[in-house]
Amino acid sequence: MLDVGRHPNVDILAYSEVENVTGEIGNFTATVRKKARYVNEEICNACGDCVAKCPTRKIPDAFEMGLKNRRAVYLYFSQGIPAVMTIDPEHCLYLKKGKCGVCKKVCVKGAIDYEQKDEILELEIGSVILATGLDVFDPTPLTYYGYKRLKNVITGIEYERLINATGPTGGHLNRPSDGELAHKVAYIQCVGSRDFNYCNYCSSVCCMYAIKDAMLGREHDADSDSYIFHTDFRNVGKWFQKYEIRGKEEYGINYIRGRVAEISEDENFNPILWYEDTETREVKSLKVEMVVLSTAAMPAKGSDQLAKIMYVDLDEHGFVETGLPFPTDTNVPGIFACGFCLGPADIPESVAQASAAANRAAEVIFLSAAGKQA
Amino acid sequence: MKDVLVIGGGIAGIQAALDLGDMGIKVHLVERKPSIGGIMAQLDKTFPTNDCSI
Repeated sequence: MLDVGRHPNVDILAYSEVENVTGEIGNFTATVRKKARYVNEEICNACGDCVAKCPTRKIPDAFEMGLKNRRAVYLYFSQGIPAVMTIDPEHCLYLKKGKCGVCKKVCVKGAIDYEQKDEILELEIGSVILATGLDVFDPTPLTYYGYKRLKNVITGIEYERLINATGPTGGHLNRPSDGELAHKVAYIQCVGSRDFNYCNYCSSVCCMYAIKDAMLGREHDADSDSYIFHTDFRNVGKWFQKYEIRGKEEYGINYIRGRVAEISEDENFNPILWYEDTETREVKSLKVEMVVLSTAAMPAKGSDQLAKIMYVDLDEHGFVETGLPFPTDTNVPGIFACGFCLGPADIPESVAQASAAANRAAEVIFLSAAGKQA
Repeated sequence: MKDVLVIGGGIAGIQAALDLGDMGIKVHLVERKPSIGGIMAQLDKTFPTNDCSI
């Protein structure tokens, strides 16, 4: 991330959205809206004086999956690039009501600019790479799992923030109901994925990340017990099978084959899982201290609109349609795609696809510079 | 020589931008969130090596 931030050939347009792309291979024009941050990016050094004094405090932090609150002026995350503050116009008192202005008063560098407007940039480009990624499925409609109704049922990405040393709890697995450490954690696989009602495909990364999460839980707390309820493990990849075995043998993770039918809770907010163990063909229940839902991953919100303006074909799930022999080429010549927007992929796969797409795009640029058809 | 537009500043977009930049091509990396990094920036460790994330 740091490398790309200081690369002389890369111009980072964060907090920006592509509004239109016209033209053809080797000769596109893109319209990009650079949203107003109300902070001068050139001057701000992210010192944090404005954040310390901002009176609007209780805004759920999207980066922390709402497990922590942020203020109206905020740094998206501490190592973020560009490292500049952003003012949220929906909550800032000055931008909404014209009162306050504290951040401007405390900013010694004079970086706060309430008059800043969205900027429209017209970029002359030769090729486009789509890397719009994923959004995680919201499991609230699956009422039997009780997400948002039961306090100690969280999603995989929320768990990632809890176990993260820079996260809202400093890396401790403090469960939401009482802040106590959760020692007994259950992970439920295929939440929304491989489900005809929601995402009729396998998200491919959840089996592995659930094992990883359980391993990390054990590393943080040697007394922890983990239970992974899986449909069947789909650990397809280099070293993945070994990882699954390591999880069982070295970390003592309990793998249970069976889908959980329902989750209830006791008076101390401990979730109780009701499930069928398909290996013993018995209906059982298990009381744990916290449940992690391995939610499906789906194409990022808004990626369908973006594809539409570029005339890029999507499949029935909203992933970019590609084919052989060039798996990163879309139906539009000169537009390429990589990463999760192509279909479920883990990090190494996304990186490999990104390099492939970059090479295909470079081919277009070099050939059109030489006056040849790509 | 024309530039390339990369839409999405997650790990895939970052890698594509770096590769193109290294080839001497100018890249515009567009991200809708206030900073780049994407989902991977939210992760602590990654499988199968349990190495630290970006």
